[in-house]
Amino acid sequence: MYIYIYIYTSKVTLLFFAKSREIIGHKEARLHIPSASTGRHILKYIVKAYPELNLIANNLVLSLNEEYLELDRQVTLQENDEIAVIPPISGG
Amino acid sequence: MQAQIMSAEEFKLELSKKDAEIERLHKMLLIHEEKSNIQIISHQIEDAKPKEEIKHLTKEDVGRYSRQLILPEFGVQGQIKLKNSAVLIVGAGGLGCPAAIYLAAAGIGRIGVVDYDEVELSNLHRQILHTTDRVGISKSMSIAQSCYRLNPSVDYVPYHLQLDSSNALDIIRNFDIILDATDNVATRYLLNDACVLADKPLVSGSALRFEGQLTVYNCNGGPCYRCLYPRPPPPEAVTNCSEGGVIGVVPGIIGSLQALEAIKIASGLGTSFQQRLLLFDALDGTFRSVKLRGRSKECSVCGESPSVIQLIDYEQFCGSRATDKDHQIKVLDDSSRINVKEYWTMLQERTPHILLDVRPIVEVDICKLPHPAINIPFTAFINNVTESASQIVQEVKDLAQKHQPEASASTINVPVVCVCRRGNDSQLAVEKLQKELAGKGVKVLDIKGGLHSWSKEVDPEFPVY
Repeated sequence: MYIYIYIYTSKVTLLFFAKSREIIGHKEARLHIPSASTGRHILKYIVKAYPELNLIANNLVLSLNEEYLELDRQVTLQENDEIAVIPPISGG
Repeated sequence: MQAQIMSAEEFKLELSKKDAEIERLHKMLLIHEEKSNIQIISHQIEDAKPKEEIKHLTKEDVGRYSRQLILPEFGVQGQIKLKNSAVLIVGAGGLGCPAAIYLAAAGIGRIGVVDYDEVELSNLHRQILHTTDRVGISKSMSIAQSCYRLNPSVDYVPYHLQLDSSNALDIIRNFDIILDATDNVATRYLLNDACVLADKPLVSGSALRFEGQLTVYNCNGGPCYRCLYPRPPPPEAVTNCSEGGVIGVVPGIIGSLQALEAIKIASGLGTSFQQRLLLFDALDGTFRSVKLRGRSKECSVCGESPSVIQLIDYEQFCGSRATDKDHQIKVLDDSSRINVKEYWTMLQERTPHILLDVRPIVEVDICKLPHPAINIPFTAFINNVTESASQIVQEVKDLAQKHQPEASASTINVPVVCVCRRGNDSQLAVEKLQKELAGKGVKVLDIKGGLHSWSKEVDPEFPVY
């Protein structure tokens, strides 16, 4: 007997700002992330896809469709949702 | 005849030098005369003179502020509130300059400016209130002077000191609204905590390269800096303007927005950014705005059971200095380093060597040493030390072949000399190279202090950036 487990994923748009943009070298990317996720899961998936971000993974804000994404929040991602990776800028 | 023409030229040259000197003295005199109107605070914390409450506008006020007075949202009451407000700007740089000039123009009652630093030539492309002839004078004083010329009715309090845990609360308590226009992580955490402890709104701006950010912290139930960023980034993940560069208009725009939000708060209109983060991308020409969380219950300074109940040591907390100046590191011992004069002698004596320049290509375009170099930018080098090392070894062997065809591999005496802008990256590169090339008989050296030292000690005409 086989058990099939389907994990529905959504293809989202990632937007990189400040240091994350500098590290990755571009502003935008597309990524498949399990649709039923939490902020923490999403961060984990992003860091898995871009291991260079590990350096600043604890020092950034995530937003989902221009709204702050708490790590504990349960979300159901839709296709083309926009997730922004926002480290602080300290220069001035 | 020839001699006469020459001496006339010399007279003209001498005269123009004297004219320039007289002009410079006139300017200095002007600055000193203006100083007498501004109370500069530099050593201990003196309380700025208390200001009397203003209840009416004068004829002069009505004339000066007429274009904002006729705004129904603002009106006479808004102007009176501005005149009774005190705003503190921390950082007299790229953000602080535009913020200060708009606050002064709008008629804020008192403007305090904190900065320990003096004006440098490389500040002037973005720090637009300083002037070429003020290079070397206090930045906070320079801002006060420029603002005074625009609006002498404002009370200016320049603080020529480093904001730290011992003085921050005493200074902040004299003001109603605080602007974070600083350039480093440690001072940002310090200001955040001080504003939470003193219960002041913090209008925070930042800028780097082509990007800017703006938020108002600790205001009407909105988050503080620590609610969003509880832990400081590791020091190696922080880029400052002197390293990363910045287009001057970017802090200009963010600093202007900081002034606008401060004016809205002071006049009672309220800020639009107490729970909102503005992300400005100058390359794309886009402004995005992200709705933020509210205050975090778990926040270590503004939460329900805070662990930070007084100011701490922020340089220790962040693991980095409270300035944006790059400090010199020392990872190599002296046997692996030469100074710029020694390198100059090598060039004079035509000592065969490989020069390795580890600066980014964009910096190599600005200036380079008078000797052909291999350019491997530091980040590319670190990402692929093995390949870089074998490229360098090949160059060393080729050069050795040319100069000493009979020498065996174990006696190659063509050193690799590594250089960068200030002598930090070059040391790290030398350290990596030495490990990679251990036992191969290749000598790897770093030039102490890099191109900055070259300019200071060998060639004063060499550009400094």
